[in-house]
Amino acid sequence: MSLNVSLHELYRTSKGVTYQCDLTNRIVLNFADQVMAFRMADFVLFRRKAERVNLHEMIFNLDDEYDFEVLEAPKSDQKLVLTLCDLVQLRDLLAGTQFTLNLNSMLHEVLYTYSY
Amino acid sequence: MKDLQRLRTSLKEEVELALNAQIKMEAEASSKYLAMASWCEVNGFLYSAKYFYKQSEEEREHMLKIFHYLADQGVMAYSPEVGAVPHEYPSFRSVFETALQSEINVTHSINRLVSLCRRVEDYATENFLQWFVKEQVEEEINARRALELFDVIGEEGIGRFTIDRNVYKITKLEVE
Ligand SMILES: [Fe+2]
Ligand SMILES: [Fe+2]
Repeated sequence: MSLNVSLHELYRTSKGVTYQCDLTNRIVLNFADQVMAFRMADFVLFRRKAERVNLHEMIFNLDDEYDFEVLEAPKSDQKLVLTLCDLVQLRDLLAGTQFTLNLNSMLHEVLYTYSY
Repeated sequence: MKDLQRLRTSLKEEVELALNAQIKMEAEASSKYLAMASWCEVNGFLYSAKYFYKQSEEEREHMLKIFHYLADQGVMAYSPEVGAVPHEYPSFRSVFETALQSEINVTHSINRLVSLCRRVEDYATENFLQWFVKEQVEEEINARRALELFDVIGEEGIGRFTIDRNVYKITKLEVE
């Protein structure tokens, strides 16, 4: 199997793109020129982490530390340093990715992929 | 394209989150019972204190049951945050009234979980939850029986002293 066949695009926005790699069972995130790979379970945790950030606080708290949010990727040294705008964009990308994953799961179920 | 989502777990995300919420509720129940035990012990109701200590432990076991179920299904169980619980009660009787109310709340919560499982066709988790459905019937019976003692014995004279001794027998009787 060639590499292109094992890599499936899940969701794309103007700011980034996600893929699923069937060779390594990883979700690959390309956002703001950074590439990260997640196990499925870690992807879910990362998405929730992004969803939990208090946007309201980032907007209205004038303290410097609320200008940026640092999101660490699970089990790696990588982290994303995000402004309010980045964060909204990232959430959009992650939510879209999750949607495709759910849709794919539903398709597998109704098409009886597991029955062969 | 592989189904990574399903390979990770059979649980739908909403079920996963609802079970985590139930973990928190059981932990809070455990903490509340501990406070009741403390109140009873300090006020001289030693048998009731023992009864509540045991209830507190059972609630923690309920919590762990869900904890292990989630882990078995390949998702993260969150160690819950438990805030301050009430430590003051106006009377001996009100402790048991609070206990019953708390059990009723848990029963409602379990029922809602079962409904959710049916809605998303998660029959495995529904089956897992049936143990809790049955357990809640027991819990409500015990809590109601304790309150009943206040009526059948009465609080005057050595009433509360007698009630206290009989509270502990509620669960003892059941074992026989
Ligand atoms: Fe319980
Ligand atoms: Fe209980």
